[in-house]
Amino acid sequence: MTKVTLNVNGETRTASVPPEMTLLRLLREEFGLTGAKLGCDVGDCGACTVIVDGKTVNSCLMLAPQADGRDVLTVEGLATMERLHPIQKAFEEKGSLQCGFCGPGVIMSAKALLDENPDPSVLEIRDALAGNLCRCTGYSKMIEAIQDVARGDNRQPVGESA
Amino acid sequence: MKRRGRGIACMWYPIGFTVAANPSAAVVKINEDGTATLLTGTVETGQGSLTILAQIVAEELGIATDDVHVVSADTDTTPMDTGAIASRTTYVTGNAARLAAEKAKGILFEVAAPLLQVKADQLEVCDRKIQVKGFPQRHIDIGDVADRARGVNGQPPIGSATFNPATVALDPETGQGKPFATYVYATQIAEVDVDDETGEVEVLRIVASHDCGTPINPMLVEGQVEGGISMGVGFALEEEILFDASGRQVNSNLTNYIMPTSLDMPEVVVEIVDSYDPTGPFGAKGVGEPTCVSTAAAILNAIHDAVGVRVTSLPATAEKVYAGIKAKRAQEAKQITAG
Amino acid sequence: MEKKPAAVVEREARVETRDVVEMLRAPAAAPLVPLPLEVLVPEARQQTPAVRQRATRPDCRLHGLGQTKYIDDMYLPGMLYAKIKRAGIASARILSVDTKEAEAMPGVVAVITGRDVPVNSFGPSLKDQPVLADERVFHAGDGVAAVAAVTEQIAAEAIEKIKVEYEPIRPVLDPFESLKLETPGLHAPNPNIYGHKVIKKGDVAKGFAESYRIFEGSYRTQMVEHVPLEPHASIATWDPNGRLTIYSTLGRITLGRADISRTLGVPMSRIRIIATIVGGNFGGKNEITTEPVVALLAKKSGRPVKCTFTRPEEFASSTTRHPLVMDYKTGVSREGRILARQIRLVLDGGAYCSWSETTLGKACILSAGPYQIDNLYAEAFVVYTNKTMTGAMRGFGAPQVCFAYESQMDDIATALNIDPLEIRMLNALKEGSLSPTSQKLHSVVVRETLLQAAQRFGWNGNGARS
Repeated sequence: MTKVTLNVNGETRTASVPPEMTLLRLLREEFGLTGAKLGCDVGDCGACTVIVDGKTVNSCLMLAPQADGRDVLTVEGLATMERLHPIQKAFEEKGSLQCGFCGPGVIMSAKALLDENPDPSVLEIRDALAGNLCRCTGYSKMIEAIQDVARGDNRQPVGESA
Repeated sequence: MKRRGRGIACMWYPIGFTVAANPSAAVVKINEDGTATLLTGTVETGQGSLTILAQIVAEELGIATDDVHVVSADTDTTPMDTGAIASRTTYVTGNAARLAAEKAKGILFEVAAPLLQVKADQLEVCDRKIQVKGFPQRHIDIGDVADRARGVNGQPPIGSATFNPATVALDPETGQGKPFATYVYATQIAEVDVDDETGEVEVLRIVASHDCGTPINPMLVEGQVEGGISMGVGFALEEEILFDASGRQVNSNLTNYIMPTSLDMPEVVVEIVDSYDPTGPFGAKGVGEPTCVSTAAAILNAIHDAVGVRVTSLPATAEKVYAGIKAKRAQEAKQITAG
Repeated sequence: MEKKPAAVVEREARVETRDVVEMLRAPAAAPLVPLPLEVLVPEARQQTPAVRQRATRPDCRLHGLGQTKYIDDMYLPGMLYAKIKRAGIASARILSVDTKEAEAMPGVVAVITGRDVPVNSFGPSLKDQPVLADERVFHAGDGVAAVAAVTEQIAAEAIEKIKVEYEPIRPVLDPFESLKLETPGLHAPNPNIYGHKVIKKGDVAKGFAESYRIFEGSYRTQMVEHVPLEPHASIATWDPNGRLTIYSTLGRITLGRADISRTLGVPMSRIRIIATIVGGNFGGKNEITTEPVVALLAKKSGRPVKCTFTRPEEFASSTTRHPLVMDYKTGVSREGRILARQIRLVLDGGAYCSWSETTLGKACILSAGPYQIDNLYAEAFVVYTNKTMTGAMRGFGAPQVCFAYESQMDDIATALNIDPLEIRMLNALKEGSLSPTSQKLHSVVVRETLLQAAQRFGWNGNGARS
């Protein structure tokens, strides 16, 4: 067993895990953060996307010990008691999610994009979502919602973020 | 060199099962504050059907969508429903939900009629009020009526109803009959670029005009069309389960089974055509499946328009398109030589 | 071998297997996740009248917060994890299934095979599909045995230890081979052609005789997977009154309960199906898959059991879209009006019937296209092969036939030098038109959609190209 200490959504968490355990299973099974989904377990679908040190990763491909000492942000870390994250709000208003299974992963990819590039072009948005498969929406309303956030239609203080 | 082409395809599609009964039942309970709860056995599988059903019940009761809570998909607590299949939920479950709401509303009207000193059939609902037709100033808050129905009349306003689409069996010899209660229609037009040196196809734009009867929620209709088109793009160009000679799948994973990503999707323009079906709830039909029907045909016609190649087997991979371009060039060269 | 009590097995498992058992225990309590509880209701949800409003979805908010509980996000105390052993061979007779080694593995609590299923057949029209194959394997994705263990990993290792002896039978993979009379019946005594449909209207011979030109074409489509992002999953739990609750990704709980009742031999009054929010369906989640398996494993183990498909199982062990071979012969007037159309459709049904009857019927009725055709003959067959079963998928055969009829429509337009929009306007169904089954149609707006799409696209008239 390997001891892993990491910052998850602003809190320090520790777990003792076997070395082959993935970050996704650590989050879901040890920490009860089931927002990140297991859709394929081999890094194809992006439903498990989380942000580690500011970059998106497929948490099904990253081993838990690799996350030791790092900052992990999951979809559960976006909203506060007072408000939805602007991306979550825009996704709700645009009807961007249908079955929703890909949603947490897509939203994390969008968050990483906007943190790095507050004014992305449509092509840059498409590029940022290319690793997140969605079968319901054709991505159209997700792209529109992300554009809305970038334009500031949904801009509000985001509060702390990893 | 990239060659541009455009292709058109239209389609028709039925709502509900082919002849076979596919009923829905629904229960609407109006709460003492004038809000309502709908019980339905259908399942939310992503389409937004529960929101659509809430809007239908709200419309019938003259209240807002947010005033209706939907309980679904539990064989112990919700009434029978044939389920999320055959693009039937808006039409069949929607009709059942509307009828159930109408029955519950009938109880409110009976309670309200003596208070407003009219007959029940002279009443209507509007903006969370029950009012006299033609005299909207004579009204009572729907919550007050609902509370009175329970607390004074002892008649809690609950309605239940079922709906099954009207069909006529098909003649076994000729297939003649009325297999479906209603149909929807659509046209999609695709614009593509085809690289005539590789056969690669890029779908640039799809304009889709769809009929769904009355769009209960235009935003959710657009979502269905956009999603259906993405499935159609995959069907047209990329997706195929392949088998080895012994009958085992060789690409049963999302690495080698290629489906559209955000980069493969064209610009999609959705139009909802004016349409009203008197047999549907508030004129609605349905929209789920039909959205993916004509996409591949439109794209393949656009490929033909671009490079003159008729690909007759899906998916139209770059290999197939390029093989067609080469064959066409060879044919043209032969004609020139012969000429 | 006498069976040890489950508690003993698990205790031993916890001691004997590596740290993995220890590690995969359920979290003691859900962690605190701050939720925005007082967010304003979006305006469109508060409007009256409600119809035609762009009302937002309350479930969409939960999806975006990561708070929707799909089956894989649920855990019941004491729950076990199931895995299904797949045949991996397309066609074979099962000679023996040896589960001893798997049963002896620490952490394995229950094992079942096809012989443990009380009524091992189901299906929406033909009851030709087993829950787990017992005597015969019909496609490579068939399940042959299942294991419930204290962790998913142990269950996955245990199914590798199950030894199945097969007598291979040459698989039939080509629907046209299956169609031949001399091909032995895959599901004898059922014939290989297990569905047939005819639509006959007017007189096609006469229509062809009157035609200015006749066009013939043959079109093929491929097998496609639904790819719901959420794989099929279910959890079964029994109470001491013998009542079964199943949480499931089923899109049709009524049919699901009937099939579960049949296969388990348990009255419907003792079965409760709860479909949670389902992560994508597209027709692929209309039938039972894991449900009877987890129910039997839960009964045998006395504990709740969950099973979630892997992505490869999603491809190989659930239904797919029917591949079609479509032959079209169409006679037209000089102006481009369709005078007669003859169609033959062959559907590759794969290993089991599933929703093939419906697909066959819809494909056949819709194959004429949204056009007025007085003389029509459409015939459709669906045949068994030893490939992945086909079933309901968004459009029930319609995307396939639309590809065929619209491809041919453009070929006709090109040959007659008519604009593709115009030839469709000329032939389109209208209010009161008679359908291929002679149904008088209402609320028909084919031409309206053609014009609206053309206008928005900027389709200029006389745009016919050679």
